[in-house]
Amino acid sequence: MASNRPLPGPFFRSPISAGPDLSSPTSSKNSDGSQIVNLHPQQRPDTLQNSTSQQSISSNSWRANSVNFGSKGVHYGSRGGAGSEGFSMSMSRREINDEDARLVYVNDPLKTNERFEFAGNSIRTGKYSVLTFLPRNLFEQFHRVAYMYFLVIAILNQLPQLAVFGRGASILPLASVLLVTAVKDAYEDWRRHRSDRIENNRMSSVLMNDRFQEKKWKDIQVGEVIKILANETMPCDIVLLSTSDPTGVAYVQTINLDGESNLKTRYAKQETLPRIPEKDMISGLINCEKPNRNIYGFQANMEIDGKRVSLGPSNIVLRGCVLKNTDWAVGVAVYAGRETKAMLNNSGAPSKRSRLETHMNREIILLSSFLVVLCTIVSACAGVWLRRHRDELDIMPFYRRKDYSKQEVENYKYYGWGMEIFFSFLMSVIVFQIMIPISLYISMELVRVGQAYFMIRDDKMFDATSNTRFQCRALNINEDLGQIKYIFSDKTGTLTENKMEFQFASISGVNYSGEKTEFLGEEGGYSIQVEGQVWRPKMKVQVDRELLQLSQTRNDTKSKEIYDFFLALAACNTIVPIVVNTSDPTEKLIDYQGESPDEQALVYAAAAYGFMLIERTSGHIVIDIQGERQRFNVLGMHEFDSDRKRMSVILGYPDSTVKVFVKGADTTMFKIIDKSLNLDVVKATETHLHSYSSIGLRTLVVGMRGLSISEFEQWQSSYEIASTALMGRAGLLRKVAINLENNLSLLGASAIEDRLQKGVPEAIESLRTASIKVWVLTGDKQETAISIGYSSKLLTSKMVQIIINNNSKVSCRKSLEDALITSRKLINVTRASDDDASSVALIIDGTSLVYILDSELEEQLFELASKCAVVLCANDVSMIQMADVGVGLSGQEGRQAVMASDFAMGQFRFLVPLLLVHGHWNYQRMGYMILYNFYRNALFVLVLFWYVLFTGFTLTTAITEWSSVLYSIIYTAIPTIVIGILDKDLSRRSLMTYPQLYGAGQRQESYNAKLFWLTMADMLWQSVVAFFIPLFAYWKSEIDSSSIGDLWTLAVVFMVNIHLAMDVIRWTWISHASIWGSIIATCICVIVIDAVPVLPGYWAIFNLASSGLFWICLLGILVTAMIPRFVIKMFMQHCKPCDIQIAREAEKFSNRMESTRNGEIEMNPPQR
Amino acid sequence: MEQKNKNSKKPSYSRFSQQELPAWKPILTPGWVIASFLTIGALFIPIGLVALSASDTVVEIIDRYDEDCVPDAYSKNPESFIQDPDIKKTCVRSLRVPKKMVAPIFVYYQLENFYQNHRRFVKSRSDKQLRDPEAKNDTYNCFPEARTADNKPIVPCGLIAWSLFNDTYKLSTRGKPITIDKKGIAWKSDTKVKFGSNVYPKDFQKGGLIGGAKLDEKVPLSEQEDLIVWMRTAALPNFRKLYGKIDIDLEAHETVKAEVENNYNTYKFGGRKKLVLSTTTWIGGKNDFLGVAYITVGGLCLFMAINFILLYVFRPRRLGDPSYLSWNRLPIA
Repeated sequence: MASNRPLPGPFFRSPISAGPDLSSPTSSKNSDGSQIVNLHPQQRPDTLQNSTSQQSISSNSWRANSVNFGSKGVHYGSRGGAGSEGFSMSMSRREINDEDARLVYVNDPLKTNERFEFAGNSIRTGKYSVLTFLPRNLFEQFHRVAYMYFLVIAILNQLPQLAVFGRGASILPLASVLLVTAVKDAYEDWRRHRSDRIENNRMSSVLMNDRFQEKKWKDIQVGEVIKILANETMPCDIVLLSTSDPTGVAYVQTINLDGESNLKTRYAKQETLPRIPEKDMISGLINCEKPNRNIYGFQANMEIDGKRVSLGPSNIVLRGCVLKNTDWAVGVAVYAGRETKAMLNNSGAPSKRSRLETHMNREIILLSSFLVVLCTIVSACAGVWLRRHRDELDIMPFYRRKDYSKQEVENYKYYGWGMEIFFSFLMSVIVFQIMIPISLYISMELVRVGQAYFMIRDDKMFDATSNTRFQCRALNINEDLGQIKYIFSDKTGTLTENKMEFQFASISGVNYSGEKTEFLGEEGGYSIQVEGQVWRPKMKVQVDRELLQLSQTRNDTKSKEIYDFFLALAACNTIVPIVVNTSDPTEKLIDYQGESPDEQALVYAAAAYGFMLIERTSGHIVIDIQGERQRFNVLGMHEFDSDRKRMSVILGYPDSTVKVFVKGADTTMFKIIDKSLNLDVVKATETHLHSYSSIGLRTLVVGMRGLSISEFEQWQSSYEIASTALMGRAGLLRKVAINLENNLSLLGASAIEDRLQKGVPEAIESLRTASIKVWVLTGDKQETAISIGYSSKLLTSKMVQIIINNNSKVSCRKSLEDALITSRKLINVTRASDDDASSVALIIDGTSLVYILDSELEEQLFELASKCAVVLCANDVSMIQMADVGVGLSGQEGRQAVMASDFAMGQFRFLVPLLLVHGHWNYQRMGYMILYNFYRNALFVLVLFWYVLFTGFTLTTAITEWSSVLYSIIYTAIPTIVIGILDKDLSRRSLMTYPQLYGAGQRQESYNAKLFWLTMADMLWQSVVAFFIPLFAYWKSEIDSSSIGDLWTLAVVFMVNIHLAMDVIRWTWISHASIWGSIIATCICVIVIDAVPVLPGYWAIFNLASSGLFWICLLGILVTAMIPRFVIKMFMQHCKPCDIQIAREAEKFSNRMESTRNGEIEMNPPQR
Repeated sequence: MEQKNKNSKKPSYSRFSQQELPAWKPILTPGWVIASFLTIGALFIPIGLVALSASDTVVEIIDRYDEDCVPDAYSKNPESFIQDPDIKKTCVRSLRVPKKMVAPIFVYYQLENFYQNHRRFVKSRSDKQLRDPEAKNDTYNCFPEARTADNKPIVPCGLIAWSLFNDTYKLSTRGKPITIDKKGIAWKSDTKVKFGSNVYPKDFQKGGLIGGAKLDEKVPLSEQEDLIVWMRTAALPNFRKLYGKIDIDLEAHETVKAEVENNYNTYKFGGRKKLVLSTTTWIGGKNDFLGVAYITVGGLCLFMAINFILLYVFRPRRLGDPSYLSWNRLPIA
């Protein structure tokens, strides 16, 4: 719906989004469907989430609505209420129910808040206080399943019947996890409290006793009248009453709210404008909606002097906004503190779950069923054992069911056969608890933090031009970056710099695309003298020499046409000129602020040719034309909307003639141009336009018409009616505009270049080589799109292009079917030959898309699209939130994409290191870490399980309870995390040189069902070795359970660490320290545990280690356990080497390679 | 430049943050693979042989006596025999020495099917009480052998102590008794630290059900070595415990007469009792398992080494050859 957009084409900072996989029909339908369905304007989320720290907004409703902020008609300003137009007709017309309403008595906070139901303005983002920290933090922590599991196990263990571990040992895992998390939370909260304190103690001037006095923010109350000076921040949500501007305009910057740095306009109501708060008592009643989180919507009405005035989103200024370019503004607080829209919007980003984690959860369910199987086996065997020995249990020395110490002989700790089986089951759950690797979730979080650190700190993803680092906003989908299969990218601002540059003009059929005058170096450019000062535009534009000369002359018809053309460029827009001081007091710069970079470019161009816009208020504009100041009245403005695709402005000349200037997309402009006037000119302009767009320029057509007095009056009255209409105002206004915008005389056309960002073609080429399918969505014309496609290497000459642009459903169906046949044929041909060059590119325009998506053709489109390597779509859609991974570009203005994104970066080309390098690493590391954790925990459990079979199924553990507990906390925890953060399978250089290596993630090579089962089989073998070698070695010997338990502990810990060591690819000192350090730490722990005299295993390790048998056992276990793994690994490495393996070898032996086979390998020179 | 970029957010360069720490990146080349298999083979086979020969030098006499030491009249009902205090339990066994046994010879009793690792059993002890006379009331885990009927704490309490093995052996050869040295059979750490020298047995084996041996109340626990050995609970249901040491050599084919006092009731649960005389070496008692295992693993590694040599010879692959990369491989039509 991108309504009111001043110009065709997207001009906001745009998202790149990507999905790991669309290949399965269900998922693809979803992501596809939802992506494309977004083309329908009604399918937009209407609430936004936003905050300065943790924002996520639906960029598309932002996009639609943000326009409302800035480009609101100048004329509307004085009319007030129309501001809410176009945003939410139905809402603004709805009466606010009394129950839903908040009544604010202006300048009467006491009456307003009679029942103390409104929040004060002090904010508290901190979650806890000193008193509530413990209970609340615990409560929040136990919301997580993992912690609940720990808790339930710990509680079970406290029942006397089930006390497998001692108190201390059973609580330790839970306590350590809770403690770590609590410390982290407490630190974060302390920082929040600190910033709250600063925020709450800021000052604002508030009307008290008919005088504006300074007041702390936290004391401000709803209903109070507040005065804000220029460059001050709004303390709460304020409805404007009056501003320093006579028409009630206030400019605000919302950078703290949504990150946009351009100015938005807000209006005070006509009715409240003349009031001076200090003198006449303002009293009125604002009836507004209950606090809500929608930062783009507001509806209310105000009763003042018995009149009822409606208020809309353009009348409210939100907390956090900064007043700019306006000396002062006075308003009444309507929402304060936590009830402000910004605060309500302050909720976290929606959590996404990575694909790897989803798969992992499937395997965790499998492991849970293993656990149940193990426990069932144990309890069933225990039942059988008890049944077989039921007659002997009473006095059996190692069971002793009966207690003879009392007079009456009773059963001692025996609850009947059934209950004993049940207890056995529960006890085995306690003993085998780590089969479900709950600690894995915590390890994964730590690893992701580490990976994020490396991504943020990567100096190759730092954008020097905008001084932005890479941002990691979502912490749980790092590994998805390594499995991307599709990239959906917006064009403008994502592939391009979004720095529009005026290039060529076609004026009255004459093409000015000649030689450019360079201003660089020389003291040049157009400037004007104002009161002894030199004013010049902030941005310099290269000008066409011939056109510059012509624009400075003033006599012939040609220069008249040029005059009108540039006047149109300077006037027909919503740009606000702002005069900025420079270090030189005699020189000032004019900064053109506006939401559309295209408009900015046009106004700068006009200024360079001597048509400098220097002032814009709601009623008039001042343009300096070749050194002569001229004032034009702005009589009316019809803003851009997506139906008309044009905007118009009605100018009253100083000589009181009235003209309408229209600017818009060529398709809509040529329909309303009077072709009877100058057919040659029209034809010539069309040719020029075609040549502009075929070199990738953005084109706009400008037209104009003089209005007679009667025409003007007729328009004025219908405009009046339309803009005050209660129902369907937007529609009526559009009709008025359409009636006005016709029979135009063509002035000319402009061509604006939006340059591709640096490195985009190379990046796209890399991504395509990595067999990532790239979809680009653009608002440009088809020719422009294709041209940009070529220049960005999205399209290559080897590709077969399928172009779909139809105007009916039937023809769409036909071309879709044709395209399918073509693509199938091509793919077969490709398969037969060994050449992968002939890939298919699909180019489809918006109209066709609408037809296709409206009908049942979706499936076919999907089939076609999934066959194509490149898809260009002519529209822009919000994608970030729907995508599996949303990446926002934070380079320039318009940070809403960043707010909604999971990752944000400065340049499109950083996508290559992000995906190909970091994504690959992240995926590789995380995949391995998950498998390793499964293996590590299951191995320990199985060793425990085997022993249980030799203890009468009574869940005795030879391994001490402390070792059992410390196993996943100390003995084996650190190496897996360190390796998960630090290990690198390939160097950055190789990954960048061979983008195809990215396929490892797309093919799920690091984590899949086959690998899981292989790992489990390996685990089974290792557990058998670890358990049974000591068992047979010490069979019928005098070994005591503590000693053999120590042997098993050490064997298992050494084994899992050596297993990890075998898989480490890159040994840094940190890897060495963590792996060997863990082994040493384990030994120390075992020694310490065995040095406690009151534990049964006192001194066992020393006795054990003094025997040769122990060392022989240990060595035998370690070697035997690793052999199958080693053999299979080496065999696969040799016979079925994966790409990563080859590349690793090439990395290491590349010198040899290059000398032997020069030319085969192209190694780029190292980047550093 | 440096000063100009004061506000720059450019991440400061460090080898760590750029993940460029110096690193060792081992790749197992065929040479390394073969070498490692050969090394393991070359290491394991000798170790296995040494272990096997060591095990071979151990001389072991095992005599199961629990069945034979029950008079025929009671063979149907051995429990009534073992529980009757009036019947003489002495039983004479003669053991043949197969090979020369060099002192020290260890005398063990071996129990089978006795779950000293049963959860109820291992928990039923109080390590504090064993160490510290002050902690005699620490009998929480010792039930059902925690306190006497008049609620006095039993020292040492718990099932383990209660079930102390009480068969005794007297050995003689050629009519001459052999002294069995029962000193120093327990771990030093246990006698010195774990069992208190000032803790004396109290109210032990006074209840309605006698589990095993009684203790001399005048001897401190630290000197009750049989108890100390017994309380190092065995890891497995078939286990040996040290009974004593003989300091004389036994010649081959000599016959040793063993006078067994068969007191301990294993008949209830089908446990077996054996008397074991054994020498030891550095790998402990007689056990061929490790030797065989080492030789097997070593042999297997040599076999794998040969396989890999063949593999590398007949299917060589140049390391890092880009033509093996999946996208360079020609599709097989």
